Amino acid sequence: MESRIQRIFLISILLITAAATSLSVRADEQKSADDDELGKIITPDLKRRTIKESDLDTENFELGLYYGLLTIEDFGTNEVSGVTFAYHITERFFTEAAFGISQLQKTSWELLGGGAQLLTDEQRDLNYYNLSLGYNVLPGQVYVTKKFHFDTNIYFLAGAGNTHFADKNYFTYNFGAGLRFYSTDWLSIDLSMREYAFTHDLFGKDKDTNNLEGRLGVSIFF
Amino acid sequence: MSASAIDFSDFNLFKKDEPLVVTVNDAYINVHNGAGGGYPIFHVVERGEKITLLKMYTEWIKIQTERGVTGWINRSDMALTLGPDGEKPDFPDTKKADYLVDRFEFSAGYGDFDGAKSFDLNLGYRFTKNLSTEIRFAQNTGQYSDSKILAIGINHQPFPDWYVSPYIGIAAGKIATTPSTTLIESEDRNDNLFQASLGAYVHITGRFFLRAEITNDYITTSNNSNEEVKEWKVGFSVFF
Repeated sequence: MESRIQRIFLISILLITAAATSLSVRADEQKSADDDELGKIITPDLKRRTIKESDLDTENFELGLYYGLLTIEDFGTNEVSGVTFAYHITERFFTEAAFGISQLQKTSWELLGGGAQLLTDEQRDLNYYNLSLGYNVLPGQVYVTKKFHFDTNIYFLAGAGNTHFADKNYFTYNFGAGLRFYSTDWLSIDLSMREYAFTHDLFGKDKDTNNLEGRLGVSIFF
Repeated sequence: MSASAIDFSDFNLFKKDEPLVVTVNDAYINVHNGAGGGYPIFHVVERGEKITLLKMYTEWIKIQTERGVTGWINRSDMALTLGPDGEKPDFPDTKKADYLVDRFEFSAGYGDFDGAKSFDLNLGYRFTKNLSTEIRFAQNTGQYSDSKILAIGINHQPFPDWYVSPYIGIAAGKIATTPSTTLIESEDRNDNLFQASLGAYVHITGRFFLRAEITNDYITTSNNSNEEVKEWKVGFSVFF
């Protein structure tokens, strides 16, 4: 009986020591690999990986809000607000999509004509969208102190889209120029002018109109 | 610990990405104080100096030196650096057609659709150097009627490396026609449409192209007489 208990103990001790030594051997192995001069050379501190362009965070998209005044020929000057979405292709070229809403006032004819209505209230709601290609010119910097500065840009753009009012779409060309002021890498302020040219026949005959907009916007880059 | 076990100790969703550090491998690289070639060079980083890449804006990369100076270097200067593995960072040549594979394409154009002014947008995907698919949307504003087109198509570009590279395409979709409100009452129409196009890309810079196209539209109308409409458009295309 005694010998049997002894044997059990012996076997268990043997097993434990065997397991422990095998573990320690493994640990030693790992340690020696780390200690080894060669190991240090093969496994430097930095992870071995290739840097790809896609690893870098890009900030080529721009989302903006703007507010301003839009003059529509014969229909007065009205508040306009809208959103822009832009993609910067190169440091010079960018493309910008815009959507804006405004309203039309009564024409002089309606005001003088005593109650005559050309358009219903609903038909006076105006919205437009356009897509333009822009080009940055005159990149500049404004120095606040000797080292602290803001970047600026003057840009020109041209494009086309549609203006919707009086239940109809009018194909619209747009041209514009603006000053963009970067307060940080990712926030910019935009002061700009746009011109919208379209033809309508609301007065019975085709009429080419040139409509100007002045606006102030703020946008973020992401 | 067994080597095959997955190491979860490193897994953390909110962990900051490991900084992208490269070593300058040329005499020097110019550092500009703005993201543009016109902005002054105010610093240089020398051979052996380690720089951290922070972010990218168009073809400019914002970097930070070991001493904490931040500025912008040109994307092409990445070829003058080595990554942690001793290899040049993988920034493909923008002039090669391979650069555009596996990328989305956005294009916009203006043109003429049978006398109507046409404004159109395409969103595409390029599978290989030669083959791409796209969804086309067009709004045509005419004197007597307006129409909208929604179609899906495939384009084949046989010589993607050429500066002016032609392509052919076919597409199928729907056209919805709305007559002008000022005309006598007539019904809106919704017809099937098939398109065959011939066009070309002109490389301007990087991922930016000029795109022009002539399209033949076949419209199968309900009154058994098919219409054939010629269309042309000019616009630009961006790969991203």
